[in-house]
Amino acid sequence: MNILEVNGLTKQFGGLTAVNDVTFDVERGSITGLIGPNGAGKTTIFNLVTGVYKVSGGKIVFNGKEIQNEEAYKIANMGITRTFQNIRLFKKLTVYENILTACQYNANYSLFEAMIFGLVPKRFKRNSRFYREEKQLKEQAEELMEILGLEDRKNFIANNLPYGLQRRLEIARALALRPKLLLLDEPAAGMNPDETEKLTELIAFVRDKFDLSVLLIEHHMDLVMEICDKIVVLNFGCKLAEGTPKEIQQNPEVQKAYLGGGNNA
Amino acid sequence: MLSWYYLKGIIMLAGIYLLPVLGLSLLTGFTGLFSFGHAGFMAIGGYTTAFMMMKLKVPFIPAILIGGLFAALFSFIIGKLTLKLKGDYFCIATLGFGEAIRLLLDNIQYFGGARGWPGLPLKTTLTTVIIIDIIAVILLRNIIRSRHGRNMIAVREEELASSIIGIDTFKYKMISLVISAFYAGVGGGLLGTYLGFLQPKIFSLTRSTELTIIVIFGGLGSLTGSVVGTILLIALPEILRSFANWRLVVYGVIVVFIMIARPEGLMGGKELSFDIIRNLFRKRVKEVKAEGGK
Amino acid sequence: MTGFIQQIINGLSIGSVYALMAVGYSLVYSIMNFSNFAHGGIIMFGAYFGFFFMTLYKFPFSIAFIASGICAALMAILVERVAYKPLRDRRAPFLYFIISAMGVSIFLENIIIATIGPTFRTYPEVFSTQPIKIGNMAIGRIDLTMFIISAVFLVLLIYLIDYTKIGKAIQATSFNMKASALMGINTDFIILLVFGLGGFLAGLAGVLFGMKYTVYPQIGNITLKSFIAAVFGGLGSLQGAVIGSVLLGIIETITSGYISSQYRDLIAFVLLIFILVVRPMGLMGKVTEDKA
Repeated sequence: MNILEVNGLTKQFGGLTAVNDVTFDVERGSITGLIGPNGAGKTTIFNLVTGVYKVSGGKIVFNGKEIQNEEAYKIANMGITRTFQNIRLFKKLTVYENILTACQYNANYSLFEAMIFGLVPKRFKRNSRFYREEKQLKEQAEELMEILGLEDRKNFIANNLPYGLQRRLEIARALALRPKLLLLDEPAAGMNPDETEKLTELIAFVRDKFDLSVLLIEHHMDLVMEICDKIVVLNFGCKLAEGTPKEIQQNPEVQKAYLGGGNNA
Repeated sequence: MLSWYYLKGIIMLAGIYLLPVLGLSLLTGFTGLFSFGHAGFMAIGGYTTAFMMMKLKVPFIPAILIGGLFAALFSFIIGKLTLKLKGDYFCIATLGFGEAIRLLLDNIQYFGGARGWPGLPLKTTLTTVIIIDIIAVILLRNIIRSRHGRNMIAVREEELASSIIGIDTFKYKMISLVISAFYAGVGGGLLGTYLGFLQPKIFSLTRSTELTIIVIFGGLGSLTGSVVGTILLIALPEILRSFANWRLVVYGVIVVFIMIARPEGLMGGKELSFDIIRNLFRKRVKEVKAEGGK
Repeated sequence: MTGFIQQIINGLSIGSVYALMAVGYSLVYSIMNFSNFAHGGIIMFGAYFGFFFMTLYKFPFSIAFIASGICAALMAILVERVAYKPLRDRRAPFLYFIISAMGVSIFLENIIIATIGPTFRTYPEVFSTQPIKIGNMAIGRIDLTMFIISAVFLVLLIYLIDYTKIGKAIQATSFNMKASALMGINTDFIILLVFGLGGFLAGLAGVLFGMKYTVYPQIGNITLKSFIAAVFGGLGSLQGAVIGSVLLGIIETITSGYISSQYRDLIAFVLLIFILVVRPMGLMGKVTEDKA
């Protein structure tokens, strides 16, 4: 059973075709890798799947529903979320506030309820939806910080965190949505081998703990080969190969693209 | 000498202007959208309130609320048309809107045209202003401290990331704009019934800019800052009347200075809440106790 | 019919002065991506420079005209140094630039009110008020002068931008500032140059405006209309600014000629909102898709 099916996906910027007729699936519960040289169109595919860009052609099916024409926030609420290659946190907010904001997905109280119950003594609002849900959101945020080992940095400003923790926080924020599919855009970029090792463990752990599927862009081949169930290789906007890590490693086309075989450039 | 009558007038004026400033604080300080047209919303609120009271004999408070709602309605239309624009185009659009409203009122003879509309009932009292201000601050604080307020802040901080965590950024910009226009409209209604007359000239581009300046002066993302900013920038120049001509000169310098030297404003995004006061107090008590123990 | 042609000619004349101002907004926008609201203040100062050069120092018109341009250029550069440079160094978001520009604009307008006073001042008569008659039409000498002078300077500016080395450098900087800096263009100098050019033309426009009407501190409000013209034509595009200005000038004179002069200003702002809603990039602007 596939959680995501990408079918004939195409994106043009003016005259430039960034993604050209790409087709692949992500199986439910799997970790799928998306690799390829710089400029191959990997991040563009993420932007198309998450609704940041409008597609030029093709279909994206998530959980049996076509989503290629939906707005970004709706796609997020259906259960796809992501991290960014150049981390996009709410920089001036604290770790806690970053996660708490993302938890909003799980609450339903209205603006009106917030205005009425905000500054009322506890004993009058204990039974209100506002109070109940706010309390829940705060517990969820605390829980997520704990799971991802960020609780001792609760009140740190996101921008002041070390790089590795910023990446971790971005994953935590994404998980606050209880996503079914998590897209990670170069999560190990700029990390040392030790940090990469920890991240590899974290991704596998998160997949099991939150029962989700992962689609991952990464250049660290150790990481990709270690945790991916399947790998899709892109080159110049087109799909070059698809298969298990072993198959990909032995594929001559892939080797040529990566070693820059010369005659295809 | 400062007579109570005079002082009361200034407090009321500051209290009235606090409303559009609070509205703008939500829009600019918490949602990250700049508007150079809020005087236009004040004008709509003011003239609607006057129309309701003078022509339709609606009582004071309902008339003011209708004024606010009318301003909100206009902002909704403006927002529908222009909130999707990128960059500074939204703020240029609000500038055009504010000026268009003023010029339109200049030409509506039914409302007195450019000469203005005199003889409005002087219904605004110090008590009404203070009560409305308190309600306004509390409601705004409640919004900001809820998931809705956090969503607005997220839009301000990083729009793309907001939509990726499921926030409908257009909707939250719109909510923020409509609420802020409602506040401005109510402020306009109070102003008309405080001054006893309305004139399109009152709601010029300079006025809109002044409101934005107060918000920035107080500090973006701080309600306390907006309150303090309003008191300082509206009340102080009124007291130092003899410098009237230099007031705006100083404003100009302050704005540039803040942008260059202290972009976070007076309060730097912090709030003065009861918790902080309590903590300060506790710390004092502890210190005193510690000293006593020595 | 002659009435209509008369309106068009008046429109061209006003429009060409708008263009002189609008290119200043566009030049700055093309390089720094923000609306420089301080430009109106520079135009107003230009008008005052011209007035005092001619009344106090009794300069002949041509010298007063050019001197006002130069003074305004220096002022524009000073404004850049004081109000924008620190923001540039800090890479502040563009909204800070707009606010800073608004601050400068308020400062410039009110420093005049506080020192010289808010009174309207009339330029000495340079050109005879006797209009030139062609058939049934009467063309004001001032209108004609305004048109010719503006046209000459606009042509010079477009030549400078399109055909000289320095113009190419300006274009490159507007296209990509970082890359231009890497290619050895002194972008800081380019920015000063752009402010200087815009300021110079603003000074000239100020004198022409003061001559046609009067000089007063709120003259900057009129200059807002040249900003509208720049938006109308497409912010950042010189050709767009010129075309937008001429169109706006004609629309205005026709409005005041056939509907009522009361609605002249209103039409301009309604047009601004209209164009933002229908085609925010303006007549000549390009459609772009942001890269995330």
